[in-house]
Amino acid sequence: MNILQVLILGLLLGGVYSLMASGLTLLFGVMRVVNLAHAVFMILAAYIAFYLFDLAEVDPVLTIPVTMPVMFLLGVVIYLLIFPRLETSERYVEMTVLLTFALALIVEGLLTFFFTGIFRSTRPEYGTESFFVGDLFIPKGQLVALGVSLVLLIGLWAFLKVTKTGTAIRATMQNRTAAQLVGVNVRRISAISFGVGMALAGAAGSLLSYLFPFFPSRHWQWVAIMLSLIVLGGLGSLKGAVVGAVTLAIAAAFVTDILGPTWSPVTFFLALFLVLMFRPQGLYGKVVRI
Amino acid sequence: MAETRVEPIHTLDEHEPDGAGRSGQRARRWFLLAVVILIVAVPFFRPWIGAYNYVLQLGMIILMWVTMASSWNILGGFTGYISLGHNVFFGIGGYASGLALAYLGISPFLTAPLAGLISMVLGVLIGLITLRTRGPAFIISTIALLLLTHNLVDNWELSGGAAGLSLPFPPLPVEWLKVPFYYGMALCAFGAVWMAHRISHSKFGLGLRALSQDETKAEVAGINTRLYKVSAYALSAFFIGVAGALFGYSLSYLRPTTFFEIGLAAQMVLMCIIGGRATVAGPVIGAILITTVNEFSVVQFGATALNIVVTGGILLITLLFFPLGIVGSLRESGRLPAILDWD
Repeated sequence: MNILQVLILGLLLGGVYSLMASGLTLLFGVMRVVNLAHAVFMILAAYIAFYLFDLAEVDPVLTIPVTMPVMFLLGVVIYLLIFPRLETSERYVEMTVLLTFALALIVEGLLTFFFTGIFRSTRPEYGTESFFVGDLFIPKGQLVALGVSLVLLIGLWAFLKVTKTGTAIRATMQNRTAAQLVGVNVRRISAISFGVGMALAGAAGSLLSYLFPFFPSRHWQWVAIMLSLIVLGGLGSLKGAVVGAVTLAIAAAFVTDILGPTWSPVTFFLALFLVLMFRPQGLYGKVVRI
Repeated sequence: MAETRVEPIHTLDEHEPDGAGRSGQRARRWFLLAVVILIVAVPFFRPWIGAYNYVLQLGMIILMWVTMASSWNILGGFTGYISLGHNVFFGIGGYASGLALAYLGISPFLTAPLAGLISMVLGVLIGLITLRTRGPAFIISTIALLLLTHNLVDNWELSGGAAGLSLPFPPLPVEWLKVPFYYGMALCAFGAVWMAHRISHSKFGLGLRALSQDETKAEVAGINTRLYKVSAYALSAFFIGVAGALFGYSLSYLRPTTFFEIGLAAQMVLMCIIGGRATVAGPVIGAILITTVNEFSVVQFGATALNIVVTGGILLITLLFFPLGIVGSLRESGRLPAILDWD
C-alpha cells in the first residue's frame, strides 16, 4: 500500500486512541492511579451502545450522551467507595493497581456472565461505507470516529482551561500538596477527575462498538494498548497521551500493512517495552521517583 | 546465595518466650514432617480412595498453585515488585518441554528442570530490562510482557500458533497416569517452599525486605539492589517454569490461552495476598484455600464467569480490609499458631 494511505489509516484511528489514553492519563496525573479497570469500563460502555443499537436502533455515536454520564457517575461512585480509604496507605501506588486489577476482574466476570463471550459489534451504515479522495481510500466510520474524538478532546481541553474545576484539576496534576495549600478540595477534584476519565472511556466505548469487534476479556489487550500510549507520552501528560496515541496508531498501521493485522497489537506491547527500557519517563513525563 | 544466617526480623517475637519458642519449633518440625509424609503417602492409599485419579489430579493442582504462589511471593512479597504477568514463565516452561517432546521425543519429566532453567535465564534477561523501572511502570511492564508473549506464541508456527500443539500421552496405563505428575508437582512445591524459607532466613532475604521498604535507602546501606532484584526475579521464575512443563504434559495439549491468560497471574496474586505476603506459610495457605474454594464452586455451580468475579471480589475485600492476609493478621495479633510460623 502506498505510504500516504497507511499514514491516513493510522491517523484516523489516532483520534480514538487519544480519547482512550486521555482518560487514563488524567487519572494518573491527578491521583497517581494506574487504572487497570479503565478498558473493562470502556467495554461496558460498548455493551451499552450495543444494546441501545440492537434493541432501539440508536446510532452508536448518539449513544455517547448516554454512556458518558453513566460512566461519569459510576466513576464517582467507585472513587468514593474505594479510594479515600487508601490515601494514607503506605503502599498507595501498589494498592491502587491491585485494587483496580481486582475491579477489572470483577467487571470482566460480570460482563461475561451477563453478555457471554461472543464477539459483538454494532453495525451503523457508515461503519462499512467508504469513499475515495483521488487514490486514497477513506473509511467513513473511522472518519466519523476521528471527528467525534476531536470534538470531545477539544471539549476536554476547554473544560480544563476555562472552568474553575478544570483549573483545579490541572493544579492538582501539577502538585497535589500545593493545590491543597491554595484551597483546592483535592478529594472532590479527584472524584470529578475519576468521573471525567471514566466518561472519556465511556465515549471511547461507544466508538469502539462499531470500530472493533469486542468481547469482555478483550479488555486486557485494550488496557495494555492504552498503557503503551500513555507510557510513550509520559504518564500523566495529556499532550503526551495524544502524541503517543497518534504515533503508535500510525506505527501499528504500518506494521499491519507490512506484517498483517495479527501483528498490530504486538506494535503496542513492544513499544511499551522499549519505552520503559530506554526512556521510562516517556516523551513529556516528569522523572518521578516513587 | 549468601550463606550468612541472619535472624529474620519477626522471629524475635515477644509473644514467644524462649521455652515456648523451642517447643513451638519442635511442634512445627513434627507438623511439617507429618504434612510431607501425608503428601508422599497419598498415592499409596489407592485401594481406599474411590476416585483415585480425581484425588491425585486435585492434589497435583493444589501443589501446582502452592509452587506458583510461593514463587510469586519471592518477587511480589519479599521484594515488593508486583508482577501481573508472572505466568509468562509458566508458559515458557510448558512450551520449552512440550516442544522438546513434540520435536525431539524427550520426556518432559526429564526436561522439566531444564525448562525451569530456561525460565530462569529468561527471567534474568527480562529482569535486567524491566527492573530498571519501579512502581506502576514495572507493573505495567509485566502486563505488557505477558500480552507480548501471548501474541508472539499465537503467531508462532513451530508451536502450532493459537490453535495449539498436541502432545503424546506418557506411556503409562491410565490408572497410573496421574502418579508421576503428582510426585513431580510435589517436588516442585517442596522446592519452592524450601527456597522461600531459605531466602526468608538469609541475608539475601533481609536485603530484599529492605529494598521493598525503601529502595534508595537500601542502596545507600550498601545493598546491590539491581543484583538482588534480578536474582529474586529469576529465582521466582524457576519453579513456575518447572510446574508449567509438568502441567502442559499432563494436559497433553499446549495452547497459548492455557498458559498466558492473565487470570492465572491473578490467582497467584490473590493466593499470596490472602495468605499473607512476604511470609513463607502465607502463599501455601492461600493456594490451598483458593484452589479448594475454586474446586467447590466449580462442582457446585459449574465453571462460569462468576469464578473470576469471586477471584476479583475476594482480592478486593482482602486488600481493603485485611491487607496483611491470614498469616500476617494472625501474627500481628499474636495468635499465629507456632506450627504455621515458618519464617
